[in-house]
Amino acid sequence: MHTQDFPQLASVEAIEQGFEAHGYICSRKIATAVFLAFQLRKPVLVEGPPGVGKTELAKTIALLLDTPLIRLQCYEGLDEAKALYEWKYGKQLLYTQILKEKLGDLLQGAQSLADSVAKLHQFGDIFYSEEFLEPRPLLKAMQQEKGAILLIDEVDKADYEFESLLLEILSDYQISIPEIGTVKARSTPMVFLTSNNTRDISDALKRRCLHLYIPFPTVELEERIILSRVPGVDEQLRHQLVNFVHSLRQMDLKKAPAISETIDWARSLVLLHAEHLDEELVRSTLNVLLKYEDDIGATESELRTLVRDSVTDNQVGR
Amino acid sequence: MQSNLVNFIQVLRTHEVRVSPAETLDAVEVCTTLGYADRTLLRDGLAMTLAKTPEEEAIFLLCFDRYFQQDFADFSASADQAAAAAAPNSLPAPDDATAAEHYAATQVAALQLAAEDAPALQTLLQTPLMQNLLSNDRTELTLAINRAAEQVGLAQIQIFTQKGQFTRRILDALGEEAIRNTVIALEQAQSPALPVLQRYRDKLREQVRDYVEREYLLHAEGKTRQFMDDILSKTRLNNIEHIYLHKVHELIRKMAKKLATRHSRKRKLLKRGRLDMAKTLRKGIPNDGVMFNTYWRQTRKDKPQILAVCDVSGSVAAYAKFLLMFLYSLQDILPKVRSFAFSSHLGEVSAYFAEYPLQKAIELVNWKYGGATDYGNSLVDFAKLALDDINSNTTVIILGDARNNNGDPKLEILQSIFQRARQVIWLNPESRRSWGTGDSEMLRYLSACHFSAECNNLKQLERIVDHLLKSSR
Repeated sequence: MHTQDFPQLASVEAIEQGFEAHGYICSRKIATAVFLAFQLRKPVLVEGPPGVGKTELAKTIALLLDTPLIRLQCYEGLDEAKALYEWKYGKQLLYTQILKEKLGDLLQGAQSLADSVAKLHQFGDIFYSEEFLEPRPLLKAMQQEKGAILLIDEVDKADYEFESLLLEILSDYQISIPEIGTVKARSTPMVFLTSNNTRDISDALKRRCLHLYIPFPTVELEERIILSRVPGVDEQLRHQLVNFVHSLRQMDLKKAPAISETIDWARSLVLLHAEHLDEELVRSTLNVLLKYEDDIGATESELRTLVRDSVTDNQVGR
Repeated sequence: MQSNLVNFIQVLRTHEVRVSPAETLDAVEVCTTLGYADRTLLRDGLAMTLAKTPEEEAIFLLCFDRYFQQDFADFSASADQAAAAAAPNSLPAPDDATAAEHYAATQVAALQLAAEDAPALQTLLQTPLMQNLLSNDRTELTLAINRAAEQVGLAQIQIFTQKGQFTRRILDALGEEAIRNTVIALEQAQSPALPVLQRYRDKLREQVRDYVEREYLLHAEGKTRQFMDDILSKTRLNNIEHIYLHKVHELIRKMAKKLATRHSRKRKLLKRGRLDMAKTLRKGIPNDGVMFNTYWRQTRKDKPQILAVCDVSGSVAAYAKFLLMFLYSLQDILPKVRSFAFSSHLGEVSAYFAEYPLQKAIELVNWKYGGATDYGNSLVDFAKLALDDINSNTTVIILGDARNNNGDPKLEILQSIFQRARQVIWLNPESRRSWGTGDSEMLRYLSACHFSAECNNLKQLERIVDHLLKSSR
């Protein structure tokens, strides 16, 4: 990817505006990371609690640049046959059969054994060639002519060994296939790796990436996000619901509600034609925000104060 | 700027942010891409290349603010006094700069007046240091201090007791001696200019002291920490004071993590499951496409299981805390660790470790299982809880002093564990010489252990656990 092809990424401000136009409201830090990733051609390792928009970031950039988004979802046991490439062995098998039949015709006129071997060498080695190669996400991203966004999602779920597989791709944008040689990227893709921190990523991988940590947003930022994602919420309710979610995040919960939950909640409140928060409304919709029975139980006892504080706008978090 | 950046990275390294040369190059590139105009932008950009975890980022931000402090030191000796003189009952406000200037001028005049009958002061006023002080030329003075600091090697500062020494050396290098001598001369002559000059001298000293303090925080704090880590890992566990507990915890975590990455689950080839068609085909090509050998996709994960049993009775109370701490970290990091604690009876504590933070978990375990030791009874409990789960993949670690208050040791239970398990390891905090003395049953238990060792400091613990995990494959 070249700088002049993408004026959308020319400066940090341009990125912020571009994201906003596509409904992704981001902090300046995120925009800086994208800018640097593009300028320095380095992958970005995005970390943060689930639901703060890590995957969404990559999707938005793909939209913004109008380039294909190639996604590799990691899981335990992911190996190179599923991530890099695979040989089309069915076709290879057919090829050997055809070759066997045609061998007589091909070697016609060869006098001695040495002669026929020499003749055989004249045919290219098609058996291991790109025609028999089945590209998987990583190789596919390297083959895109006009660049691509490669999203390696939840890299912490993959095995430790898989990380080493990524190292060559991330630092040199190339893949070594033993039978063929090195396949270089036709155009450098922009790579995003996300991690939920279920385990530590190896230093070797971290070293090759820019490190971006996305925390929960500030009240102001989250209100802007809600405004952009759920425009139907009126200002007063928006303010109250964001305040409420922020006070929930201060509590000691198993899983604090993230941005995606706030958006879902705002949508449900719109569906219920709510105009302001009250205790009853919150109690009946709490399961949108909190995903564990324990958390719901812990919150319900304090619901009254939490709602009152959010409505009167004098909560702890500000 | 580049050498400045490299120095900054050096500072980061002493604060335990690991920065490789490649990352240094990245940082330089970030600087050229982002420019130096926007401080926050540059800081965020550098943070992305240099800090790799949220914790490191916090350290980075702290160091960045300390290192790239932009304000120059203020050397106007008179600023606060001037303000105080102008408005005795109010706080000095920054906007009466004119008053301060005026006051400074009178000070200079006073000095010059006094200089007429004191030759020492006369010469002093001609020195560049004094000139700069009088005109309050902050840039020049800050540069002079920087030069002096470099001359005396301030970056080498290691421990806090060196601060005074370095302050003096920098003052000497600056030429403060002349001021000092003149003050003495003025004192003898009882000159009216004495307090004025003293104020200038004190201000200079204060600034240099602050400067040294700042540099100390930057350069030495990290080194001191490394030094402490070294010392701590060699100290006997029960001698470590309570205040260092959290440091030890960090150290144990580091160690357990190191061990875990070295010995995490291994994969093995299996001879069943899904056929690896591609590989089978490829390997069959030499045989004319006939697939003689089959290859399988599945690999088996080797899952070493660890059962750890820890004595928490009074006799090993001081050690138990650390052993529990170690167990806690280990369970955090290695898969399939079950922990048990006992004194008179035994119970599984894995759930406490999984659920509560360290301090709370240890408290709970001590509260629930602390008391007088009864190894026999505890072994019976252990057999009831876990004997059926012990197989050839299991490693049993027992942490305790084997002092059984002359009770029945129930050796036969340990023997049956010994026969089933892959390994039984006994770590005893007492030194080998005292094994078997008094009520210690260690020598008898020894007959049913694959491996036993004396373990009373972190270095020993690390070596033992490393050995243990290597052989448990």
